[in-house]
Amino acid sequence: MNVQLLISSIIFGLSIGSIYFLLAIGLSLCFGLMRIISLDQLLYYSIGAYITYTILTFIGSFWIGLLVAMIVAASVSLIVEKLVFKRIYEKAITFTMITSFGILLAGVGIIKYIWGLVPRPVPSPIHKQIILLGTEVPLYRVIVILIAIFIYIDIWLFLNKTIVGKAIRAGIEDAEKVEGLGINVYWLFTLTFLIAGGLSGLGGGLHTPLIMVDPHMGLEMIPFVFMVVIIGGLGSIKGTLISSLIVGQVISLGALIWAPLSNMAPFAIMILILIVKPTGLYGSKLLKR
Amino acid sequence: MRKLIKDWGGIITAFTLLILVRIFLPLPFTIEILIFAIYTMGLNFLLGRLGFISFGQPAYLAAGAYSTAIYLFYFGSNPYIGFLVGILGGLILTLIIGPIFVRLRSDYFALVNLALSVIFFFILQKALKNITHGDNGLWYLTKMSSTPFLDLGKPNDFFIFTFFITLLIWILFKYIDRTIFGASCLATKTNEDKLKFLGYSNFKIRWFSFSLANTVTATAGSLYAIYFGFISPSVTEPARAADVVVVTLLGGLGTLYGPLVGSFVYTGLKDLVSGIITHWELVIGILLVVIMLAGEKGIWGTIQPLLKKVQLRITGKEA
Repeated sequence: MNVQLLISSIIFGLSIGSIYFLLAIGLSLCFGLMRIISLDQLLYYSIGAYITYTILTFIGSFWIGLLVAMIVAASVSLIVEKLVFKRIYEKAITFTMITSFGILLAGVGIIKYIWGLVPRPVPSPIHKQIILLGTEVPLYRVIVILIAIFIYIDIWLFLNKTIVGKAIRAGIEDAEKVEGLGINVYWLFTLTFLIAGGLSGLGGGLHTPLIMVDPHMGLEMIPFVFMVVIIGGLGSIKGTLISSLIVGQVISLGALIWAPLSNMAPFAIMILILIVKPTGLYGSKLLKR
Repeated sequence: MRKLIKDWGGIITAFTLLILVRIFLPLPFTIEILIFAIYTMGLNFLLGRLGFISFGQPAYLAAGAYSTAIYLFYFGSNPYIGFLVGILGGLILTLIIGPIFVRLRSDYFALVNLALSVIFFFILQKALKNITHGDNGLWYLTKMSSTPFLDLGKPNDFFIFTFFITLLIWILFKYIDRTIFGASCLATKTNEDKLKFLGYSNFKIRWFSFSLANTVTATAGSLYAIYFGFISPSVTEPARAADVVVVTLLGGLGTLYGPLVGSFVYTGLKDLVSGIITHWELVIGILLVVIMLAGEKGIWGTIQPLLKKVQLRITGKEA
């Protein structure tokens, strides 16, 4: 096999994996702390992509668009949390899953009303190619990877070095004891939801130059984000990172061998891992409190 | 006699009402209600008895539909055999993937199922393009041969056939509710440790009920395939995955009449609303959220206590 082809497809896989990581981290954090499966993260992903597209069309700057997208996605997630999720934190996990799927579908309907059905292309903000190990690689993809690494380090620092982050980690272990210490758990829930929504929006914005923006983009992402979350194990941040790397590489290297494999190989890997370990790589036996 | 009326009165009323619907409303509408009711009964059993939520029902629907379609397109022309092939296809698929899926926790189960339905979509649309003809789909309406008795090519005869299949499946589920198997299904949902203690195998019960529920779903798919005489990968579209969940919850989760009520209301609503609003997702999504926030009882779950009150008053006066 051609070495240059191999390197460029590894970079491709890493950049795809970075986007999956940004989306899956929100789902994983929400599950860990609140024990909800928040499928509406995919809605904030679509919103992020559309806002980036709109700002890019009107103002002309991709990076401002990305920033606004993050803010808008986070605010929408805040509204949804206040309106819907606040009422259903105590309910069973399947309950939150159905409700959030409803929110996602309603959101897709609203997006269709505002932006229409036509897929829209977004030009890449950076057209430059750089030489990496003797291979020409688009700089934009490298930047996507760097942003994802930056976000991972930030989240790690936030969860391990700040008092709020430590409270969140303690909440993942046992929310009732944290409440007993006099910390407002619901405030932590809102904060986590906000972070998750913002990161999903960022993921959507970053993904736009690589694909077309269309109303069903959130629904199309669902299986891949699910696979990342399931392989890594719900509620584990380290697991999410490793599995997004695995899924990204499987997709891009699979496509190198036989094109339809790119969609089916991750699924096969997921089934294999579930046969060996039904809770995913790093998943613990976290159950509904 | 009285016991017989008490046990079967409800369903006789329900199916008489369906016949009335058939007389007063257009035929395609009624057929759609019936097929959707079968489709919903599968998920209703899975969710109401086992506590497994699945967004992947379109995958099992497609398994039945495509088994029938491929038989009718490539091999034979008898729709009855096609129907049986569809059921068999669903049964084989669920028996194979069942052992992997039912070991999972219910949240993983839901996620894996949705992923499965999307993979099915990819397989049908791209990977097996030579067999399924991709997005163009398979057309075989003219290939189906007519049979001397109950010709499935004719809508009226097809209605009668579907009607009896629905009745049969309904009776099956009613029967299961009274058996030990039905009770142990409910027990795996509420307390699996106790059931294990009693000497039952959770795994086998789940596997069997998973196969049963999704074979019923495949039956609905098979009926769809025969009715339309055409099949395309759009049956497994991710956006459609919520339809059947909405109908199950709308009708009333875990109730026997729920699927019938739910599919009647849903199909009617769809007909009425799609004239006004073009983007159906918005309605489904809001409906889903509202049902869940209202306490996930559904229509039948809400009116059932009222009906019981009325019934008690009447019988109380008689006695």
